[in-house]
Amino acid sequence: MATFMEDALVEARRARDAGEVPVGCVFVHNDKVIARGGNEVNVHRNATRHAEFICIDATLAYCREKRLPARQVFSEISVVVTVEPCIMCSAALHTLAVKEIIYGCENDRFGGKTVIDVAAVVGQQINITGGVRADEAMSLLKDFYKGENPAAPPVAKKKK
Amino acid sequence: MDNNGIKDNLRPPAAKKIKTDNFGITAILSDDYKKDITLMQVHSCEVESKQQLQAVIKELALKLPHFQHLKRVHERNVLICPSDDIKDTLEQHLQLHQISENVLKTLCRNVNVIEVPASSAKLRVQYEQMTKYWPCKFHPDKYAESLQNGSNFTVSQRAYHKRMAELLWKLSKDVNDGQNVGICVDPRRPSIVAIAGDGSSHQHCVMWLVDHVARSQRGGAWQTDQQFVKDEPHTKSTLSGLPQIFYDYLKQDAACQDLRLGAELPRREEQQPQPEPVEDIHADNLCKYGPYLCTGYDVYLLREPCLMCSMALVHSRVKRIFFLERSDNGALASKFQLHAVKELNHHYEVFQFTM
Repeated sequence: MATFMEDALVEARRARDAGEVPVGCVFVHNDKVIARGGNEVNVHRNATRHAEFICIDATLAYCREKRLPARQVFSEISVVVTVEPCIMCSAALHTLAVKEIIYGCENDRFGGKTVIDVAAVVGQQINITGGVRADEAMSLLKDFYKGENPAAPPVAKKKK
Repeated sequence: MDNNGIKDNLRPPAAKKIKTDNFGITAILSDDYKKDITLMQVHSCEVESKQQLQAVIKELALKLPHFQHLKRVHERNVLICPSDDIKDTLEQHLQLHQISENVLKTLCRNVNVIEVPASSAKLRVQYEQMTKYWPCKFHPDKYAESLQNGSNFTVSQRAYHKRMAELLWKLSKDVNDGQNVGICVDPRRPSIVAIAGDGSSHQHCVMWLVDHVARSQRGGAWQTDQQFVKDEPHTKSTLSGLPQIFYDYLKQDAACQDLRLGAELPRREEQQPQPEPVEDIHADNLCKYGPYLCTGYDVYLLREPCLMCSMALVHSRVKRIFFLERSDNGALASKFQLHAVKELNHHYEVFQFTM
């Protein structure tokens, strides 16, 4: 399943090129990618448009089109994402009860496993594997945040 | 008789109307603000004369710098260290920390194990309880006190919050089949920016609400059959975050005529702060930079949000959340307190309406 991380990284780079935080995700069902996406926060002015949510919406559309029961399809989906899902995405994926989550680097600011125990709050356990091609995922993020943001207000700069 | 009977039958729905007298707004504060204090066991000693104190305190402050939230000395009693820190004997522990021979002897003479408050007092009620155990340091926080005793809102602010609480209840009942409803308000005017009801699957009311707010900023991701209010040309504020069905309801309801509707338009596109806006909590970023996500906005919800929705509101940088009813899977009071997680990069205030 980890081989699909390349697809997720492709989506992350695509997001970066569109000026979005470089996180990419694919949903794998029966060894086939049925949904793919990167962050779309800035384009929609909506902070919840994370890569995972793009894929959740795409999966629901896929199920409608193919006339498949969404609940069952989600239970058979492997989520492959370049960065540990945040608390919001992790809560959504636990509630939808996907089969497993495979992620690249950790999200120490608002990771749904690193910062709080989402599984305990939602009351649903999922297999979660981290650290798949973590360095590549992390360097995408680091390069992104290193770039000067001309729109950012001056007070945002932290003293080093 | 019959007529009276009918009147009586009509009474129950009327009684459902929200009573004005008992309306309250309770701040949901983190456990740090709980009235019950936690205690810890510590080793202390009673020195024989006050003359010994100076040398003892000086050395303890340097080599065992514990108890920043407490006074180190009370009469002739000195706090040495938390009892849990001592692995073998007190003497060995003091030697390990290179306490000088003289002080060590003084400290090991009249040792007591006592209970003292484990953390600092945030509120006066905590402080008053704590000082029964041991003298504490206390820096009163006026704002925290006002949140705790409910004096943080002015009369007119309270009146507006109450109207929103009533509106949630009415919109849910009259427009949305009793489902969850959310209202986003720009508290500066105050003015209703967006309204949303519940959807299917993961499309909870809050997720719709933040997308409707995005619509008011020329964004929005979700496709929907719902009609939204169209703005007049050259308008100074936008109604595009309001679904037509809610807008029409507000317009026909006599009680809502004076409610202000609409959001400030986003300022020049190229000036929009991008992924991570400023973290300067003292500046009002909504005033400074104009609408960006839900920065500076208040959100009113009929039901306490789940974890997904609560985190969506963190990402959206909401200022305050008010809700009416608790939920079994609620992540602000019932199952969890997301706003009490210090690691997060944004924190909103949370209030529950009580009727």
